[in-house]
Amino acid sequence: MKKLMLGNEAVAQGAWEAGVAFGSGYPGTPSTEILEYLADRDDVVVQWAPNEKVGLEVSIGAMLAGERALVTMKHVGLNVAADPFFSAAYTGVNGGLVVVSADDPGMHSSQDEQDNRYFAKAAKVIMVEPSDPNEACWMAREAFALSEQFDSPVLMRMTTRVSHQTGVVNAGDKQGVTGKGFKKNIAKYVLLPSHARDRRHEVEKRLQAARAFGNESGLWNPIFNGTSGIGVITSGVAFGYVKETLPDASILKLGMTWPLPMERIKAFAGTVEELYVVEELEPFIEEALLAAGIEAKGSALRPYTGELNLPLVEKMLLGAPKHVPAVDLSDLALPVRPPTLCPGCGHRAMFDLFREMRLRVMGDIGCYTLGALKPLAAMDACLCMGASVGMAEGLQRFGGAKEKGKTVGVIGDSTFFHSGIPGLLDMLANGSDATLIILDNSVTAMTGGQPNPGTGRDIRGNEAPKLDTAAVCRGLGVKRVRVVDPYKLEEVRKVIEEELAAPEVSVIIAKAPCVLQFRIPGGRPAKVKVEACDRCGACIRVGCMAIHERGGFPEVDPELCNGCGVCEQVCEEKAIEIPKG
Amino acid sequence: MEITNIMLSGVGGQGILTSGRIIALAAMDAGLDVKMSEVHGMSQRGGNVDTHVRIGEEVPSSLIPLGGAHFLVSFEKLEALRYMNYLRPDGTAFVARHEIPPLTQNLKKDSGYVSGIDAKIEKKAPKLVWVDAFELAKELGDPRMVNVILLGALSNRLNGLGAKNWEAGIRQRFKKKAQEACLEAFRRGSAYGKAT
Repeated sequence: MKKLMLGNEAVAQGAWEAGVAFGSGYPGTPSTEILEYLADRDDVVVQWAPNEKVGLEVSIGAMLAGERALVTMKHVGLNVAADPFFSAAYTGVNGGLVVVSADDPGMHSSQDEQDNRYFAKAAKVIMVEPSDPNEACWMAREAFALSEQFDSPVLMRMTTRVSHQTGVVNAGDKQGVTGKGFKKNIAKYVLLPSHARDRRHEVEKRLQAARAFGNESGLWNPIFNGTSGIGVITSGVAFGYVKETLPDASILKLGMTWPLPMERIKAFAGTVEELYVVEELEPFIEEALLAAGIEAKGSALRPYTGELNLPLVEKMLLGAPKHVPAVDLSDLALPVRPPTLCPGCGHRAMFDLFREMRLRVMGDIGCYTLGALKPLAAMDACLCMGASVGMAEGLQRFGGAKEKGKTVGVIGDSTFFHSGIPGLLDMLANGSDATLIILDNSVTAMTGGQPNPGTGRDIRGNEAPKLDTAAVCRGLGVKRVRVVDPYKLEEVRKVIEEELAAPEVSVIIAKAPCVLQFRIPGGRPAKVKVEACDRCGACIRVGCMAIHERGGFPEVDPELCNGCGVCEQVCEEKAIEIPKG
Repeated sequence: MEITNIMLSGVGGQGILTSGRIIALAAMDAGLDVKMSEVHGMSQRGGNVDTHVRIGEEVPSSLIPLGGAHFLVSFEKLEALRYMNYLRPDGTAFVARHEIPPLTQNLKKDSGYVSGIDAKIEKKAPKLVWVDAFELAKELGDPRMVNVILLGALSNRLNGLGAKNWEAGIRQRFKKKAQEACLEAFRRGSAYGKAT
């Protein structure tokens, strides 16, 4: 049946058709919706994991039980899950195991642009790459069969423009699969060095078998014969641009991109006069051609960073883009509209304080990374999930008198559960006197409000056990745990000052639910008394979408204002007021 | 049949994705192929957002090239101007008369909104249809209707999709109790588009 589906929804559909019993993962743009759509099906167990490594490990457990399991993450999530991923390549599978990595070329919502195809090569697992939602559906379904056929985890590599592309999908019915049950086999599943050395050969044999399969498979690696003499080897989202640019070219479209079907590639190259490789990000396929002595043009004709698009591929294949802008906007200096924290967000209050107190902030990944942008501009470093904790400890220890008593790690609740906890253990075990601030809004907010271990509900919205962040910190051995209300600026300032001065590890938990999920109690839109305003700009500097300049004075948009009261508190002239109910 | 490219632009939370989805569903109802591209995540936090919709007999890729859009449907004036270079030389912009100021950095400078923006839009758009979508939505008693009103205005110029297809798209996208109000808003948008 034909259905309009988002690429991520199509992955869930395909996995469901394959009879997947379990789905896990950690939210991360552009992968998040896969599990959410899978959770719409009642006959699958679907749960968010605290991080990608755990998500993969639970999926491996389900796979060992003989069930088909799906685990989803964004590209950097696979860095976190890399340890079990590489080892699962050695154990192989019982039930099928598909790992989805959604890469983000162009870094729309990411801190780096890594090309995760290299993970498949490095870990020696089979990889498939869909180019649109319809392929995402059938490839997800067939990936489970590949996994079981070749006794290998399968990496399904998505990219932003496939995950967040909507298109027409041929959706089918669920194909019944029954669990095989756990089979004890320590030589396969216990990776002692002696066992692993044997498994190492199995891995190589599997790759050879899969390569032979790919060489023959017209389903996974179809050839479209053209008339122009030009041949293009392509994969993923680039396929569409190639097809549109050169409708008469011969195309070898690689759907299975590891192991690469080198014989098929060689044969294809022999049938064309001029050969191109069009792929997004790294020259992954092109390097293999180069190593095999097959001449082809490719990455030198395009930028080494960012997404491909139609004009870029036109430039590669035609020498110049067919599509050029008709309207010139270069004479206009349009103001940018960067993403900002939501009106009423509790994080804003904290970052306003960090800036006023001139703190050195080691930040982390989440909505609150936006605290680094003007006008808040109160973050000094941000690296990857959980890194704020270790970075704060290190900077505090080695920053000298200048940074001492000024340095804080700032992390969200979900990120703390994800990978902040080991950093806190490091602080405790090594006698640090650093301060960690947990911005606890009770959800994984940036990706759309997914539940985490502190939320108290599961992916389907049902009630679930709720971890208390403060109790977790105390349980780890932190003696100084302070819980504050971020909307009470002066109280929070006092607590931060006290904890920065404390000679041991402190954790400050700023607890305020995400305003997209919960309303602020008594939150009424702020009112400006223009006659009292001295135009100091303190209210504007909190960087809230709901307050802007109009005729030289602040103006509040009542549609946007949630009544959090931060602008009221920073106004020394008392020119802003939240009406009392 | 050539591929028709429709670019939608605005500010996060304005219902741009929903509009794209309705066009896509209507196109599917008309038996056409469709591909649509959107960006989630960071850009939803008050940033500018866009959705690319491409319909035709066969649509291989999902991104509209600069200079390739037949139509630009904008929910906000500044975001109309920002995306104007997506239009073809003969392209048409449908622009809602609506301003959302971007984040102000201080009180001393001007508001940050583009001065004389209406004139700039009129100068840059190859063909232009202003839509009082927010006024119309207010008359209808629901500000969320802006998206279907804009689609109604677009529908007059978009060949290949009939009233029946649009109705099917709207019915599939909205819950039963909202359908009639949405269809009425769509018809008002269409009538408005014909009158201008």
